[in-house]
Amino acid sequence: MKLDPKVPEGPLENKWSDHLRDIKLVAPNNKRKYNIIVVGTGLAGASAASSLAELGYNVQTFSIQDSARRAHSIAAQGGINAAKNYPNDGDSVWRLFYDTIKGGDYRAREANVYRLAQNSNLIIDQAVAQGVPFGRDYGGLLDNRSFGGAQVSRTFYSRGQTGQQLLLGAYQAMMKEVNSGKIQDYPRQEMLDLVVIDGKARGIITRDLVSGEIQKWNADAVVLCTGGYGNVFYLSTNAKNSNVTAAWRCHKRGAAFANPCFVQIHPTCIPVSGDYQSKLTLMSESLRNDGRVWVPRKKGDNRPPSEIPEDERYYYLEEKYPSFGNLVPRDVASRNAKMVTDQGLGVGPTGLAVYLDFRDAIKRDGKAVIEAKYGNLFAMYENITDDNPYETPMRIFPAVHYTMGGLWVDYNLMSNIPGLFVAGEANFSDHGANRLGASALMQGLSDGYFIIPYTIGNYLAGETLEPVSTSHEAFSEAAKTSSDQLDRLLAVKGDKTIIEFHRELGKIMWNKVGISRNREGLESAINEIRALREEFWENVRVPGEKNYYNKYLEFANRVADYFELAELMAMDALQREESCGCHLRDEYQTEEGEALRNDEEFSFVAVWEYLNVNGKLETRMHKEPLEFEFVELQQRSYK
Amino acid sequence: MSTMTINLKVWRQKNRNDSGHFEDYTVEDVNEHMSFLEMLDVLNEKLIKEHIDPIEFDYDCREGICGSCNLVINGVAHGPKHKTATCQLHMRNYKDGDTIVIEPPRSAAFPVIKDLVVDRSAFDRIIAAGGYISVKTGSAPEANLIPVPQDVSNTAFDYATCIGCGACVAACPNSSAALFTGAKLAHLNRLPQGKPERDKRTIAMVNQMEIEGFGDCSNHGECEAVCPVGISISAIAEMRRSYMKAVF
Amino acid sequence: MPSITDALLSQVGRKILSGLTGLFLLFFVIFHLIGNLAIFGSPDAMNAYSMMLHDFGPLLWVARIGLVIIFVVHAWVGIAIWLRKRKARPQDYKVYSSKGDPSRQSLSSRSMAFTGVILIIFVILHVNTFALGDTGDVVLDGRTTHDIKTLVVDTFQDPVYAFGYAIAMVLLGTHLGHGIWSAFVSLGMSSRKVSAVVYTVGVAAAVLLAIGFLFIPLYIYFGGGCDAALINCN
Repeated sequence: MKLDPKVPEGPLENKWSDHLRDIKLVAPNNKRKYNIIVVGTGLAGASAASSLAELGYNVQTFSIQDSARRAHSIAAQGGINAAKNYPNDGDSVWRLFYDTIKGGDYRAREANVYRLAQNSNLIIDQAVAQGVPFGRDYGGLLDNRSFGGAQVSRTFYSRGQTGQQLLLGAYQAMMKEVNSGKIQDYPRQEMLDLVVIDGKARGIITRDLVSGEIQKWNADAVVLCTGGYGNVFYLSTNAKNSNVTAAWRCHKRGAAFANPCFVQIHPTCIPVSGDYQSKLTLMSESLRNDGRVWVPRKKGDNRPPSEIPEDERYYYLEEKYPSFGNLVPRDVASRNAKMVTDQGLGVGPTGLAVYLDFRDAIKRDGKAVIEAKYGNLFAMYENITDDNPYETPMRIFPAVHYTMGGLWVDYNLMSNIPGLFVAGEANFSDHGANRLGASALMQGLSDGYFIIPYTIGNYLAGETLEPVSTSHEAFSEAAKTSSDQLDRLLAVKGDKTIIEFHRELGKIMWNKVGISRNREGLESAINEIRALREEFWENVRVPGEKNYYNKYLEFANRVADYFELAELMAMDALQREESCGCHLRDEYQTEEGEALRNDEEFSFVAVWEYLNVNGKLETRMHKEPLEFEFVELQQRSYK
Repeated sequence: MSTMTINLKVWRQKNRNDSGHFEDYTVEDVNEHMSFLEMLDVLNEKLIKEHIDPIEFDYDCREGICGSCNLVINGVAHGPKHKTATCQLHMRNYKDGDTIVIEPPRSAAFPVIKDLVVDRSAFDRIIAAGGYISVKTGSAPEANLIPVPQDVSNTAFDYATCIGCGACVAACPNSSAALFTGAKLAHLNRLPQGKPERDKRTIAMVNQMEIEGFGDCSNHGECEAVCPVGISISAIAEMRRSYMKAVF
Repeated sequence: MPSITDALLSQVGRKILSGLTGLFLLFFVIFHLIGNLAIFGSPDAMNAYSMMLHDFGPLLWVARIGLVIIFVVHAWVGIAIWLRKRKARPQDYKVYSSKGDPSRQSLSSRSMAFTGVILIIFVILHVNTFALGDTGDVVLDGRTTHDIKTLVVDTFQDPVYAFGYAIAMVLLGTHLGHGIWSAFVSLGMSSRKVSAVVYTVGVAAAVLLAIGFLFIPLYIYFGGGCDAALINCN
């Protein structure tokens, strides 16, 4: 497997501009001769599709939702970072770059992250011109808020719905091109396979989710923007339909998968209330600005929180991290919540929660101030839990939120399969081992608006692509593979439901490949995953037929892929014998119990090549070394 | 923690051409903390084990923002709780022994795909007709070049929060899409960036509503009451003003 | 850019037409009521009012034709909206109910087509009874004119007429209860504060108009025609 990151030479700040100077262009009248498929219409997909169509390419977009506008980018709350330095607090492209690479615990490519910081300002310009209603100050100019992991205010926001507003901006740009005829939009279509001809990505296989028909689509390039794979844990903050299938099927066709074990677990989510629970709801990180996190000091203390006196409350973040207190980064907060609940100090009916208490903030600032800041979040919390957070502390617990790992891409965001580009959360590129808040939106839009449209032209201009039609045998073979798998799933006719299997898989992943990991746990997880996968293929019950709308068949097909991905994640976590960012190995901690990186041996991207699944996942790991020319590696400390 | 038994009357329809009918189901051990959709998940698990085709309904984010879910519950779009999408409705709003009728949004412009799942692509076509500001990637000026008064920006945001669920159409006695269309117009038309295309946009989107077969707005205002984000019917009046300005 | 006709026939155009014609008809109804109240004036007040209108000659005919056109347009738009609504929801809900405030849905708003159609029939009968009906002659200021007052007083001694009119006027009030506010919204009234005031004033106006109109026939009927205290029959 050839892994050339293709990072341009030269000083960090000139790499992207030099690259743009050097890349090949497609003449305007030739662009209309190219067909480009964009899979997924979230921030990355919608922005890439509209930008490519504006350039003159013929674009086809596919989404699993009933409308392109419903991709899960819509749920992002907090904001989007940019190095505009409007607040005059000393921000710069360099500082945004530095915070992002440090926040990722030095496990991302310097050149990619620097380009991300450079593009950040263009994104804000573009979004404002599209009519995205960002928060503004009294003078009518754009306002910023501060966010975790940074000492400057650089986050642009639309109240708590920044993702929605940015996505609608990109979606509307996309619909503009649907109107102009340059985009053919196909909602309710799920990509089931990638078609590779002569080593290049030349099309995809989809299932029309309404008719159930397997369809073939040819193209000159495929852009995969299908998001992350957090739903492998069953419970996560992801949307129910978010899945890994498109990316995983590309992986099985030869695309390398990078750092699969890097999963961000968000500390402030509403805890699980019962087995029926279908998803977890995030409460904005901003709550930790005023809320104090605690658990009772005594094990099994069942008193209502208001009756527990001050000296019997364990404010563990404040005690352990006096300088950052409740505002430690996401990974640290999540890890500590797990530690105290593992000690049996957890609260609530399940014991899997900690308190986030606003009592002191309300006493200090008054209810009105707290209501003005967090009113909508408090209302959402009350709606879900039926508890009033003004009177009793919130109960929170960490939940799977974002996956930093994904398909491996070079500097051009092209995978190791020529013609297959990967953008947004689906690729591994910019966040290393931990993503900072307000950076996901930035990356999705940077990839889609300002990188892919250039680099795809470079690829097309540099290749001679023979015309292919969907009658090519590679299409028939891929379509048959997809169709056969559906038949296999339907033929099992077992006794256990898909959700029962998925929930069990999620429990293995959460307990052993979750917030903290160790060799013993990972090894047993791998065995358990294999056994459960075997049972799945022998005993799953998939209802209905494949030739009509059948959501449970869709789920079954996705869960089948999760079973393979899960094993890869555990293997990846097992080989990485260090702790970094979200990845905490119990064996590798500092004396104070903090993540201990091993830069000597593990400063690399783990890049996995798929070989086969035969009882176990057969795979081969490659390493892309990470070299840090411009920043100095430091141990993170929040004491 | 109390559990309930809930009786359901659910619309079942095999496909677009099937005439459809109601089926009765009973769900036992319903927990008050369950969301409405989780209650249906539990029912579906039971149906699957009994080898009965599960009930199809649309959902995705389950946190009230994607706009996928859109059930009509006891004749009210998204059920009894105000400013709440179906996925954020919890079973504590019901009591033991309740009978709940669940129907899909009924509108000629939203044909049923299966059971409670409908095709809302008409909304996409309304947006495609003009629901955007034409700015090519890369051609945007510096973001702070055009100040937008804070109140204008805030009001634009209020209209821009539409989640496109279609509850407005479902609840409207006339199946009108005026609130959906009006909200997008009220968002874009009031911003300085949106002014150059205002007339063209307004006419095109109004025209597309007609083509899609939505009914006229008779100012019942039911749409605002069921809207999970509480978009005001002022949007509709603004749409009419914009239209008059554009045409006359 | 659509032509003016296309614009008026669009979804927004239809509502603008409906609102404009509706408001015009509202003003007509208000003046009509004021005119009717002349029945409680001096013995000749009502016939004098009628004669004054006839003195406009051809202008009266222009007004009448204009009124008919406006009425027809209003009715036609209303029926078109109703027909389209039927097409837009071919299958009804098994259960349907309003979510409540801030919905303006009410018996009034839901029955616009029904009350409208009844009012069309009423107007035809009404014109036939009074405008085209046989009246005796009366001499006023030395000129012969229609004795409309006697016709009114006689007609409403008949319980069918008296109660029929009263019911029609309740329906008119119902129609206007939603209609007055709705017309303003159709013409672009978007301010929430103003809208709330207009809604309240609209409902009050509808109630007052209905009471004003139905008071006359019922009063004549229960008062025994010319025996009624406020009716001055000479």
